Amino acid sequence: MTDLERLDPPAAAAALRATPDGARGFLGVDPVTQNDMAIAGELTRLGAHVFRRGQALLGFVPNSEQPRQATVATTSADPDLMTEFLTFLGSYQRCTSYVAMVPSGSAAESTFNGCGFHRTGTLRGHRYQTGQYQDVHVYFATVGDLCRS
Amino acid sequence: MMLRGYRAGDLELLSGTWLSGELLGLPLPNWPVLAEPATVGPPSDETSELCVAPGTGFVRYCDVDWVHRRARLEIGVRREAVDSAELLISAAVAYGFRTLSLRRVYGWVTPATHPPPYLCERAGLQREATIPSAVWFDGRPVPREIWAAVRRD
Repeated sequence: MTDLERLDPPAAAAALRATPDGARGFLGVDPVTQNDMAIAGELTRLGAHVFRRGQALLGFVPNSEQPRQATVATTSADPDLMTEFLTFLGSYQRCTSYVAMVPSGSAAESTFNGCGFHRTGTLRGHRYQTGQYQDVHVYFATVGDLCRS
Repeated sequence: MMLRGYRAGDLELLSGTWLSGELLGLPLPNWPVLAEPATVGPPSDETSELCVAPGTGFVRYCDVDWVHRRARLEIGVRREAVDSAELLISAAVAYGFRTLSLRRVYGWVTPATHPPPYLCERAGLQREATIPSAVWFDGRPVPREIWAAVRRD
């Protein structure tokens, strides 16, 4: 995956703002209710790494309690791109399992269903968006679950 | 049980032999002699809120988010006050809902530490999700669960 461009937190915040709608809930940030400085601060606090590939943004947060696990997020609905990114994390970060927290009804849900993740739970009313509380689905996959095409 | 704000004199309540980040940190048996106790720092930024119950333990609300009105709960109980754990967790949930005006409090529960199952349920928390191999404990990765209470208002 050679054309993956790493973004520092301020650049990531600007790129998330430029992504129409798909970036809401990306690693828990929300470009609608947070300004760029708040998003960059939140990404720094989480220790998040954000990458750009073409129009899509991909990100991960290593699990500090278990270095072989990472929380991943994407703004694209393309499962192949996600699979490629997870392969990259497997090689360079030595991750063996992945977690994704996806707002219910968002486009990213089909992405994770399409690349071998399964749902392990639902966080009730975890997010407040457009006037109501939304559930967040928790997805999980190990390296063995990922579809290889 | 009353919670009050943290003062510098309460420092000894902030460390103990529990798994760090746990929703209900009860002292673990068989804590290795040379292992450092788990410690939380005194409050340093606006994303966390630290309270103590004198003589019993501490309650920390981490990742407080005022837009989504939620916080992650961390509780640490002193070895000599394990019997008060039930009161402390109920007080922590009530403080989050009434005083901090949160809508949702959640936290990590690790089944491998054998927490008494009724304690969280009696405080109104429910299991919402399980994440396999989410934490390193006792020489191997073990699953962790997310438990949460949601205020209906």
